[in-house]
Amino acid sequence: MAIPDILNSVVAMDKISVVENINDAMKNGTPIDDILNNGLIQAMDVVGEKFSNGEVFVPEMLMAAKAMQTGLEVLKPHLTGDALVEKGTVLIGTVKGDLHDIGKNLVSMMVEGAGFNVIDLGVDVDIDKFLSTAQAHDADVVCLSALLTTTMPTMAKAVEAFKESGLKAKIIIGGAPVTHDYAKQINADGFSDNAPGAVELIRKLVAA
Amino acid sequence: MNAKERMDAAINLKPVDKVPNGPFTEAPVCQYFGSNFRDSLLEGPEMLKAHMKSLEEFKFDWVMLGMGYIGGIIPEALDCQVSFPEDVFPVIEKTSIFSMADVERIAKKDVFTRRMDSFLDGVRLLKKELKDEVPIACEYISPFTIATRLRGTNEIMMDMYENPELVHALQEAIVPLDIAMGKALIDAGVEYIFYGADMECPILLSPKHYKEFVHEPTSKVCNELSRLGSKVLPHMCGDIVKTGIVDMLLEMDIQGIMPGNLTQEKVLDIRELKEKVQDRICIFDNINPNGPLLIGKPEAVALETLEHLNRAKGMNGYIFSTSGTSSPFTPKENYLAMDREVINYNWNS
Repeated sequence: MAIPDILNSVVAMDKISVVENINDAMKNGTPIDDILNNGLIQAMDVVGEKFSNGEVFVPEMLMAAKAMQTGLEVLKPHLTGDALVEKGTVLIGTVKGDLHDIGKNLVSMMVEGAGFNVIDLGVDVDIDKFLSTAQAHDADVVCLSALLTTTMPTMAKAVEAFKESGLKAKIIIGGAPVTHDYAKQINADGFSDNAPGAVELIRKLVAA
Repeated sequence: MNAKERMDAAINLKPVDKVPNGPFTEAPVCQYFGSNFRDSLLEGPEMLKAHMKSLEEFKFDWVMLGMGYIGGIIPEALDCQVSFPEDVFPVIEKTSIFSMADVERIAKKDVFTRRMDSFLDGVRLLKKELKDEVPIACEYISPFTIATRLRGTNEIMMDMYENPELVHALQEAIVPLDIAMGKALIDAGVEYIFYGADMECPILLSPKHYKEFVHEPTSKVCNELSRLGSKVLPHMCGDIVKTGIVDMLLEMDIQGIMPGNLTQEKVLDIRELKEKVQDRICIFDNINPNGPLLIGKPEAVALETLEHLNRAKGMNGYIFSTSGTSSPFTPKENYLAMDREVINYNWNS
């Protein structure tokens, strides 16, 4: 029952139970990568699905992500071998001129919860910073977020700059005013209108 | 009918001579007609110049203001550090609420800053120039949405679980200030309070949390602003019908609803909303401002506009609009294409 208990305590946003259940599972010899992949990461998939279905909302997503991160802190000193292998590196930030971060933070937490190495550049990030960080960390995916329609054109410039740079990173975009059509128009590699969708998209792009 | 008579008739569910034309015009208007975006949003004479030129060309049935007011002036008046760039909306650089002590400090604030006075001057100038022929609408925000500006969105969202007392106390402190700022708008000449429920919409919050945290303080402000003589018109994104939020909105003293986007690419079917609200309040239509209007060709915009108008035909208490703020980068030819369809539409045939 250890793994379902861990999963359920994350979904229930219960940080204390997450820690207790992980400690119990480790005492009982449950493999660490099992706890990580089938407990914590799987839990955020469940939360993401509930969000997509309108069963939970932003406060619940944030609290569940916080519970999962508490669990990750407990696991980190014990991570070895395969459990240490991240699924890829994802760079994320809100574009220059835009200081909104709720969507960006949700995506960041969900992607980290899905086992990726996430580098969160924060808000008001200029294109050069995206480019240099993507190059330095050999990023697989770069996520650009914008809430303001006034900052959307920066996304187009960033996509163009990445295509010209020859870096391998795929560029995906999101944020309240952004649409699938806009993503196509600016030649982005993908678009999602929600955090769980972004995780799925990143998984597909990294696997491709 | 002049614009004021037409809009008032629609809000009161009376017959109109043609489709009332009230999109979220402010950002494009400031971009097309302002000497710079910031001053047209915020400064009296520049506001006047941009909106009067816009009425001349577009013949909208209202003047819509307030993006800078709700996004910058109110947060700055409540101690946030706000920057006001020349070419974009104001940006909150630093929030102002970190503890209960900050809530007590905010409760005692004199909110009437120099920038707020300048904005109210703009409303007064417009009111004088419009001679009561074109109504003025101003965007406004709920205590909850103000609270998210002051505290930070993530923080407020997690406070609902970790520090609910603070969420309640902060809104309690904001309610009288929200009413005072709303009353100042009404006194300056705003006829329609366009009540943006940005952060409490059912895309972000559950109906349970809406009821627990948002409904009461919002009702206090809406009911008082309505009592003071304004038409109160809430704007909310997400599925307000299926989630039952619309039932809570209808408990308030409101005169209309403007449904926003369901997602970035879908909007609520206003016939579904009409069935729900019947003849109790008016309904604003909801062309997606981020669809063809922003990135399509004028022909596609005209087609989409016509589809919306045909769907609404025969509905009383109908006002044509966009489902949210139009981008300042909306191509002018697209806005003109939408405008032409509305103006030329044969509503009463």
